[in-house]
Order: sequence, then C-alpha cells, then structure tokens
Amino acid sequence: MINDILLIAFIAGILALDDRAGWQSLLGEPVFTALIIGRLTHQMHAAMLAGVALQLVWLSIGSARGTRRPNTVVGGVVGIASTCLVLMTTGDTRVSFVVAAGVFCGLLAGEAGAVVTRVAGEYRERWLVGFRIPDTPEAASRNLAVYVGVSALAVVVVNAVAVLVMLPVATGLADWLTGRLGAVETGAGLWVAALPAFALATIAAAFGNRVAGRYAALGILAALGAVWLL
Amino acid sequence: MSTRLRRSDLARVFVRLLFIQATLHRRGMQNVGLLHALDAAAGRLSPGKNGLLARHTEYFNTNPNAAPLVVGGVLRIEDEGDAGAPASVSRFKQAAASALAAVGDVLFVGALKPLALTLACVSAIYNFFPGLLAVLLLYNAVVIASRYWGVSFGYARGWGVIESFSGHGVQRLLGIARGAAAFAGGVLVGVLVARARAGGVTVTAVTAGVAALVFLASRRVPAPWLAALLFPLSWAIALIAK
Repeated sequence: MINDILLIAFIAGILALDDRAGWQSLLGEPVFTALIIGRLTHQMHAAMLAGVALQLVWLSIGSARGTRRPNTVVGGVVGIASTCLVLMTTGDTRVSFVVAAGVFCGLLAGEAGAVVTRVAGEYRERWLVGFRIPDTPEAASRNLAVYVGVSALAVVVVNAVAVLVMLPVATGLADWLTGRLGAVETGAGLWVAALPAFALATIAAAFGNRVAGRYAALGILAALGAVWLL
Repeated sequence: MSTRLRRSDLARVFVRLLFIQATLHRRGMQNVGLLHALDAAAGRLSPGKNGLLARHTEYFNTNPNAAPLVVGGVLRIEDEGDAGAPASVSRFKQAAASALAAVGDVLFVGALKPLALTLACVSAIYNFFPGLLAVLLLYNAVVIASRYWGVSFGYARGWGVIESFSGHGVQRLLGIARGAAAFAGGVLVGVLVARARAGGVTVTAVTAGVAALVFLASRRVPAPWLAALLFPLSWAIALIAK
C-alpha cells in the first residue's frame, strides 16, 4: 500500500504540473484522473463512480476564482484513490457506501489542498517577483529556464507532498466511516445519489438564459429521447 | 517585410508557451513565461537579445490559449521594428492581451472546457471508455492545434491580429461554441434526470430538492462546501429514520 501511495502522489504531482503550470489537458479533472487511478488500483468501476461524483460537484467551480476554488487535482486524486485503496484492502462489497466516504474525503482534501497550495504559492510568487534580466544574453536564457523549471517543479512537489500526506489520512477516515457507521449506509448512498443535483443547478445557472436555454432544452430532449429509445 | 524567424523558431516559442502558466504570479502575472517564450526567438531578431527582452518585463496577462497569438504578434512587430507601427510594442501587447483574453475566456473556459467535461461525464456515467478517451484526445487536439496556429497566425499578422479577432465571424464562432456547450449541458441534464427517475421517488425528490437548494444558495455558499455539509446531514436523517 505504501508503494501505491507513493506512486499515486507522484502521479498527482504530474497532473498538477499539467493543470497548474502546463496547457491543462483535462487529465487533472476527476473524471479523467479516475481512469488513471482505476487502472492502477484495478478498481475501475469504483474509481469512475467517485470521479464522476466529484466532477459533477466541481462543474460549479468552472468560473470561480481565487479562494473559492478548491484544488481539484489534490481533491480528485485523494477522493478517488482513498475509495480504491479502501476497496482494495478491505474487500468491502458495499461499493456505493465506500464511494460516498471517498468522495466526502475528496471534497475535504480539495479544500485543504487549496489552502496548502495557496500558502506554498505565496513563497513561490515572492521568489518569482525577484526575477531580473542579467547583463549577458546567455545568463538571461539560463535564468529564464531556471525560473520556469524551478517554479514548475515547486508546483509538482507541493501537490505531490499534499497528496502524500492527505491520502493515508483520507484512506483511514474512509475506512473508519465505512467500518463504524454501517448503520447510516442508506443516508450516505442517498447523498452520493443526490450529488448530480449540483451539476443540474450549475447547468441551469450557466445556460438558463433565453439563447443558450434553447440549445440546452434541445439537449435535454435529445437525451431523454435517446434514453427512452434505448 | 522581413521574416527572420523560421518555422523551427516559432515551434520553440510554441513549446515554451505551453508552460506560460508555470511562472504565474500576482505582480507580473505571465511576464516571466512571456520572456521565456520570447527568449526562444529573440536571438535571431536581435543579436544582443537582452534589449528586446528588457522591453517585455512589464505586467502581462491573457488567456493562456490566446497568449500564442499575442506572442506571435509581438515577434512580428519586433521583427519589423517601430518604423511605420501605429503605436509601441508595449501598447500592442496591452491591447491584444485584453482583447484576446476575452475571446479565449469565452471560447475555451466558457464553451470548449464545459463541453468536453459534460460529454466526458455522460461517457463515464455509461462506462463508455472509448467516448471518454475520444473527448480527451479531441479536446487536446483542438487546444494544441489552436496554440500552434496562434503563434504562426500572430507572426503573420502582427498588429492585424487584433482586427482579425474583432469581426462578426469570431462572434459567430463564439456563439456556435456556446450553443454546443449548452446542448451538451442539456444532454447531461437529460441523462441525470433519467437516472434519478430510475432511482425511485426518494432519489428523484432528494435530487430535485438539493438542486433547488444549490441553485438558490450557491451565490453565498460555494457548491463544494454545500456538498460536504450535506454528508453528515444525510447520516443524521438516516439515523432518525432508523
């Protein structure tokens, strides 16, 4: 399990590099992160359930900025991986209950990860502000490469360490929740089943105007028609 | 009109621009990332490239997907020199960055990303992995291609790049992209409603209630906080019901 956690933390660092410092390929979004973690832990079904649940909640933060924005890479990796690790180690058959506990841990880790990366980011920013162009062209090129490289590496390290610390805690918490609170399985199951409501509210708020609303209504009709036909 | 930069120079600028967000900071925003990208081609434009770089140390901020257009334009203006230019390169950077940031935000953040994520969610809900991978590949193909094209187009147009993105054609493209994102959002709503109905009366009622709560409260309380708060509440309700 320690090897799994180390590997997952490393993957989280690379995903953070893409999401925070690279071209944002979407691999850091929970729905895609679930593919990687699910494949790694051989728990693809549970990983996808957790990934979709987190994605549906975090669809709402698309336009949020600054302090309101959770760290979706750390939260996504911790939420999905804690679900998969609990299922791997305990062999629990109540998949939706474990998913609910893992998703809850992921939401908490997303908020905690935002605080950690914001504090660490302030030190990185203070260092970046000190950038000056040196006298010689060679030194200028070297300095720029160093600043970009070190800054990107800082993003990787901070996010990987955040996952390294939070994942064992989240796995322990998810394990404890599912082990001790089996009596509330129905409530947790209902909670995870109701999470799509966050996406419904987000889409209603984003496309609830007259122009976009027409396209959204067409989409709803198309989906309901396809579901009815199939 | 001189064109001192080769395709390989522009390719190096493009690669460095992929990491323009790595050095984002509040005072200068993307200025160090911009300098890093310009550095890849500055040697060919100005033998003692420090003079060129020194002109671009000021604050710079735009949508990362629009940055290649601005940088391409900057390289063209630096290539041709100030003679005959309508204003300074600094003025161009400021004008292009804000005009193209708006286009980039609407197109990528407001349309393409939500479109990709909603389609990915629909694919994942039905365990349709080829669909999930297709969304990922298509989204990245569009982003990478548009960034590469942006450097070349910006370098070809120079000052003209701002005008190219202020016409009706661009507004039409943005409208189509927003329409596609709204359609995909509607598809996701339809899928989620159908699944909630299949879950029974309780799931449908709870989903409708939570959606209404989130819709009304999300301006004051972030939606992820609401989701986390509802977790212990669901336990309490389950315990009482027991």
